[in-house]
Amino acid sequence: MAGIWIIAETREQAFELLGAGRSLAPGMGAALTAVVAAGSASPEECIARGADEVLLLAELSPGEPYGAHLPVLEQEARAASPGVILFSAAARGKELAARLAARLGAGLCSACTALSFDKGSGSVLMERIAYGGAAIQKLTSSAAPVVVTVPPRSFAPAEAADGRQGRTRELPAPPPSAVKIVDRKPREKAAKDIAEARVIVCAGRGFDKKEDLALARELADALGGELGATRPLTEELHWLPEDLCIGLSGVQVKPELYVGLGVSGQVQHMTGVRGARVVCAVNKDENAPIFALSDFGIVGNLYEVVPKIIEAMRK
Amino acid sequence: MPVVIACFKWVVDEAYIRRGAGGALDFSSVDYKIGEYDRNAIEEAVRLRDAGGGGSVIGVTVGAPESAKGVKDALSRGMDRAIFVSDASFRDLEPSQTAAILAEVIRTHIPQYDLVACGEGSSDLYAQQVGPRLAELLGIPCVCFVQKLSLEGGRLRAERRVEDGVEVVEAPLPALVTVLPDINTPRIPGVKDTLMAGKKPVTTVKREELTGTFGGVLKTAAMTASSLERTGEKLAADAAGIARFVDSLRKSGVIR
Repeated sequence: MAGIWIIAETREQAFELLGAGRSLAPGMGAALTAVVAAGSASPEECIARGADEVLLLAELSPGEPYGAHLPVLEQEARAASPGVILFSAAARGKELAARLAARLGAGLCSACTALSFDKGSGSVLMERIAYGGAAIQKLTSSAAPVVVTVPPRSFAPAEAADGRQGRTRELPAPPPSAVKIVDRKPREKAAKDIAEARVIVCAGRGFDKKEDLALARELADALGGELGATRPLTEELHWLPEDLCIGLSGVQVKPELYVGLGVSGQVQHMTGVRGARVVCAVNKDENAPIFALSDFGIVGNLYEVVPKIIEAMRK
Repeated sequence: MPVVIACFKWVVDEAYIRRGAGGALDFSSVDYKIGEYDRNAIEEAVRLRDAGGGGSVIGVTVGAPESAKGVKDALSRGMDRAIFVSDASFRDLEPSQTAAILAEVIRTHIPQYDLVACGEGSSDLYAQQVGPRLAELLGIPCVCFVQKLSLEGGRLRAERRVEDGVEVVEAPLPALVTVLPDINTPRIPGVKDTLMAGKKPVTTVKREELTGTFGGVLKTAAMTASSLERTGEKLAADAAGIARFVDSLRKSGVIR
């Protein structure tokens, strides 16, 4: 049976993808191959976490982008004919996955949230979100290979075990890419990563001006949580950094508590909150969609309601 | 003077999709729109044309015949002309099929171009595949997730956003980019723009004029409504409502 490949640019991606790959391998009766970037997970770590084979991507010179690996990956994939190729749905992985799928004439399930193998039909079964979160799309593939991208933190990382065996091979350096990196600017990270936050207070369009976000921050502090935002506040108004943008095309969060302040509740945003245990809202529009998507909420002016909530919490 | 191709898709406005009986998707009251991210691609193409002191912007879309409405909408956003690949069978295409159709049409109908601009993803499937797939099929360099872009001396310079920051890249033209929503603010067409759009040339390409087979690879087994609904208890903004709100927070165990 054709093998399962995982292609990772970081250590975290490698472990998570190995976890996803191992969930498929027994059913498919397939060997697991980890293709990893230089300086990410070591071959020993990959083998301990279930890889039967490790293919090490060549180290790139500083001007070469990650996508430069494409011709080497294409060549190796054609030779080995894997049944499934898994990527992490991070920016570089998404681009490389789509380009590799195009070259191999393969199907690609983007941002796959559930993955299994049906032995009876010999098909890979996949699920993803569509229509901005309004729908779940179920896809099947019986043609090999099928390429799959997995949103970060969707699958449990593979656990290491002692005494596992595997082989390692270094891949050749790719030819120079047409795209060259001429400069890199590291991201100015928000103080905290909201993807990991236990409590999130999210500010929406209901705030009149940037200074007023202090009120949302005050509630976040009172709840011991972090501040997040809807897309208009980060992308259009630039009131907050973009890594605080919650939604299908931003960060997907899984807090214990989400509080939406002046958030209307558009489906793209709320899909990013679907993993929250408790969702509540304050919005002056009683017909705002967020109320139906919340556990409870107050219909009222956030400028009046939020100080009262903070006061009541202190009692 | 750059020739820029802007790809766009006429899609269901997901805000109007309802959850029907048994979790089926209810499209009965939907409206359609130009994909949100495609508006940024069109705007960027128009901006580059104007910054380059001329040239042209050619919009290309693939869809069912009723997408003609979307072609006019797109033309009202500043493009010079459009190519509409239309067939009743082009309603629910996989990204691999859309990319293959676009590639053949661009190859056969646009002999010379400098740049292909796509949105970062479509508003409906948001698979984010058509751009990079199309670049491969056309055999041109590809830069995805661009937040800043300029063309100069036969090359592009782009800032692409990745998880750990920004990569400033250069590539020879012709090339393909996918653009992020914050690269620009798409214009809202006025009455004059809409009137002018009706006079701009549209080339309609029929299925029979294409030679590719455009078969799908994956099979969509089901498309069902997702359930984001919760209990939705609405409280008043009075003392009792606030007390109940804080009490519910405490009961949830999130705060003490």
